[in-house]
Amino acid sequence: MQTETTLAQADVSELDLVKRCQAGETEAFDELVTRYRTRIFAMIYNMVHNEQDAWDLAQDSFVKAWKSIKRFRGRSSFYTWIYRIVMNVTIDWLRKKQVKGAGVEFDDAIQLREVNPASKTLPKADPLPYERMERTEVRARIDNAITQLSPEHRAVILMKETEGMQYHEIAEALGCSIGTVMSRLFYARKKLQNLLKDVYENI
Amino acid sequence: MFMKTFEEKWTAWLDDQLTGKELDDFEASLPDKEAAETEKRDATKLGALLKQELGAQPFSNEEFFSHQLRERIARENAQDRHGGKSTWWTVPRLVWTGAVSLALFMICAVAVMRDKTPGERSEYLTQILNMRVDPVVSPNATVSVFETKGDRVTVIWTEGLQSLPSDYAAK
Repeated sequence: MQTETTLAQADVSELDLVKRCQAGETEAFDELVTRYRTRIFAMIYNMVHNEQDAWDLAQDSFVKAWKSIKRFRGRSSFYTWIYRIVMNVTIDWLRKKQVKGAGVEFDDAIQLREVNPASKTLPKADPLPYERMERTEVRARIDNAITQLSPEHRAVILMKETEGMQYHEIAEALGCSIGTVMSRLFYARKKLQNLLKDVYENI
Repeated sequence: MFMKTFEEKWTAWLDDQLTGKELDDFEASLPDKEAAETEKRDATKLGALLKQELGAQPFSNEEFFSHQLRERIARENAQDRHGGKSTWWTVPRLVWTGAVSLALFMICAVAVMRDKTPGERSEYLTQILNMRVDPVVSPNATVSVFETKGDRVTVIWTEGLQSLPSDYAAK
């Protein structure tokens, strides 16, 4: 898994930044946040499908990471470590929301009303209106399909397919075995294949 | 990689993680290899779709995100420093104050108890018993003593006394 590093960022090693964070340097943590904020926000957004919630959860995750960075021993990469925090925060939130809403989370109609899929997918060059509409529909279909997965299955499929993480990295991030990751991936793929077959066949 | 279940092997096969004998064994175990290959292609297409649609997303206001986070962390740090100081000062203090207070209380309680605990006989009883009731003056005089040690009460009941000697008085 490659991190998003520019040449300037690459000058400072991640481990060095972590050590400086452990010494209480908030500037070093700011640097780490800059490196990972986009990917982490996108990951959370794809899990919760709401920009404000994703923003808050990303903030909470980074605050937790800052508070517990002294316990980071460097056995895994910083990215995997922070992903574990992100996943804990997000999955807990989704579970609570599910309990509160008593299953409302998986109501398709509500999902479509709440989510503005176009906001995150518009390319920089303005597409033609029909293209935009088509992409909006595709995004809505994908979001809708993902909301029908359990939080753990969402996490696994998104980490594998959008982040390109290895099984062992996903297992570390979720605190489960590699076998569990593979099994969850199996069921998540099956479900999404059923729900999105017409979408990926037509692209 | 050790795989036990069909789901695990299937996932590894889809992701091209099976090699050598494992791959041969798995493919030989498939009842319909053509259908499996079709599903594998579907899974690849699904993966590509998800990556394309969900992968790279712009994150607007990222500088504001960092700014807000910096402020929040500064606030949390300030709270921790404040909280940390008070914890460092008050907890040991509370423990020591509690222990010293308890010790003082115990010492005082023991001292007071000792002072207040009546002896085997009260002063009054001692006086009366030491007195000789004159049999001439009070031939039918009787002195009864009722004592409840638990309640620290002593009742002296006198009957038949005609007169009290002048020096017989409770001090």
